[in-house]
Amino acid sequence: MTLLLCLAAIWLAGFGLVRWMFPQPLGWSQHNVLLFSLAIGVGAGVASCLYFLALLVAGPGVTALAWTLGASVVVACALGFLATSHGPLLDWAEGPPVPWYLTTLFALAAALAVIMFLGAVAYNPHGEEAAWSIWNLKARFLFRAGAFWRDAFSTDLGWSHPDYPLLLPGLIALCWKLGRQESTEAPIAIAFLFTLGTAGVLVSVLGVLRGKAQALLAGTLLLATASFIALSAALYADVPLSFYILATLALMFLQDRHPEQLRFSALAGLMAGFAAWTRNEGLIFVAALIVARVIALLRLRETRLLGLQLVRLALGLVAPLAIVVFFKLRVGGPSELFSTPASTILKHLADPARWIVMVEGLVVILFNFGRFLIPIALALALYWYIVRFRVEARDRASLVTAGIALGLMLAVQLLLDILYVDNLGLEIGTSFERILLQLWPAALLALFAASGPLQLVAPQPQGKLSPGKLSQGKVNKEKKAGRGARRVAEIR
Amino acid sequence: MARYKFAVLSLAAIALISSFWFLLDVLGTATHSTRAFGIAAFEDRFNGFGQTVQPHSVYGYLSDNPPNSPTALAEFHLTEYVLAPAIVKPSASENLVIVNYHTKDLDMKLLRANRLRPFRNIGAGVALCQGEKR
Repeated sequence: MTLLLCLAAIWLAGFGLVRWMFPQPLGWSQHNVLLFSLAIGVGAGVASCLYFLALLVAGPGVTALAWTLGASVVVACALGFLATSHGPLLDWAEGPPVPWYLTTLFALAAALAVIMFLGAVAYNPHGEEAAWSIWNLKARFLFRAGAFWRDAFSTDLGWSHPDYPLLLPGLIALCWKLGRQESTEAPIAIAFLFTLGTAGVLVSVLGVLRGKAQALLAGTLLLATASFIALSAALYADVPLSFYILATLALMFLQDRHPEQLRFSALAGLMAGFAAWTRNEGLIFVAALIVARVIALLRLRETRLLGLQLVRLALGLVAPLAIVVFFKLRVGGPSELFSTPASTILKHLADPARWIVMVEGLVVILFNFGRFLIPIALALALYWYIVRFRVEARDRASLVTAGIALGLMLAVQLLLDILYVDNLGLEIGTSFERILLQLWPAALLALFAASGPLQLVAPQPQGKLSPGKLSQGKVNKEKKAGRGARRVAEIR
Repeated sequence: MARYKFAVLSLAAIALISSFWFLLDVLGTATHSTRAFGIAAFEDRFNGFGQTVQPHSVYGYLSDNPPNSPTALAEFHLTEYVLAPAIVKPSASENLVIVNYHTKDLDMKLLRANRLRPFRNIGAGVALCQGEKR
């Protein structure tokens, strides 16, 4: 019960903040589904950062921590719920009606994902080895060690990567602290929420960009990616990282749809900062995102927006990034990257066998990725052959940003493997798919945002449309018009 | 329209059938197989340590696992996970050393070879040993 209350408070803090940035009437709407999903990541990031700051300033006592979290929830709720509606109301994009079977397939994928997740965590409630030996071990130190919490980053525990940032361990330890007991339920619930949030962001943003059909199909594909659900149930930090990468790029898409609303860039910056607070790969993502955005806007001659967006991005990024930098400099242990001698790096770089092994690994993973029975790359290729690409001019900058950012991130991670990892074969076998899965939700967003429209139901001739068969966009417009008419009638 | 239907249904079918197939694997594993070592069982072995583990304390670690055994490293990591917030080092040269053994009795030869003497038997294959004066 305490865990549920704690997670609800964390989510509420996130929801208050995102609602303060994008206030619209409460109730069931596409806009609020997106805010609900984004709130999971924002709340988790804010709570984890506050936990770390409280630990530094006030020590490991639970009182200061409870006050800090309580105050943040109150402030965020006050900001969020007192804000008056302004800015864009995000709604389903106009498009042809969606057949019933697409919704059913999505529901089936969601049900399978939930059963798979629950089955996996029931069998393995502590998660896979890298989860308990890295993330949960740090959480145990933070929870159990009292004043000696910095022992979690001792060089004697070099194998548990003392330089890894603390979003996930901090969040788990925070739940344990407030609940006053350790439980496996906390990391499991956090993993579940991040998976839910990832699917929520993907479906709601694609719904805004391309309509319900593309959104539901992408959501089905994500939730039916067995490796992704298995990775989530393994309780690693990769799914939270994939959430932040997806959320950042999704917000960049919305930024390009609403260029005057620079709050999208600020929230994207915050999400990118939380990515860096989740895993070291998040730092690579931050650099890749900035490079990609600059290239995209310069290439598409949108230089007027470049400065404005970069400033807002930096404003969102600065707080979490400052915490990451402080952690790296003053708290975390040394990174194994910096302990590798230059001679070894050069030897690795000049060894053609390592490059061949890497290319082989890439080809193999292209066919094995996601544990699909048929290589998903082939299935997607067939899909795009049939549906074709159709990129709207207003989405070009975002697509270029996503493409370059994801490509750069993958390239840098593969290069780091070639340069630093001794047993490259083992690394490819154990972590190659994991790296791709970090990028998978964002890749689905980009792929489906570039896909052509799906005409799945025969168009009705003009004048014969019944209200039940109106296109989604027209239904939305009619609803809004109806609301407006009712308001006018009430005023009269 | 038919080609769009084909594209969507084939993509969704591949994804859902794959997901269902994997779910059967997960459920099969969960209901039939036994784990090489479970964390709960491993934690039970250390129950005897109880409240004696203090933060900031450092223990050595010795095991009778063959050095290249795949479970050797995992059991060492598990020992640290169970005994956190104490620090466990993979070395027999600390003052207090945790010996993780899988035989019925503690292997005295192993202890002598590492210049250790039994200090406290925790039971269930775990003993706390003390380094001889070096």
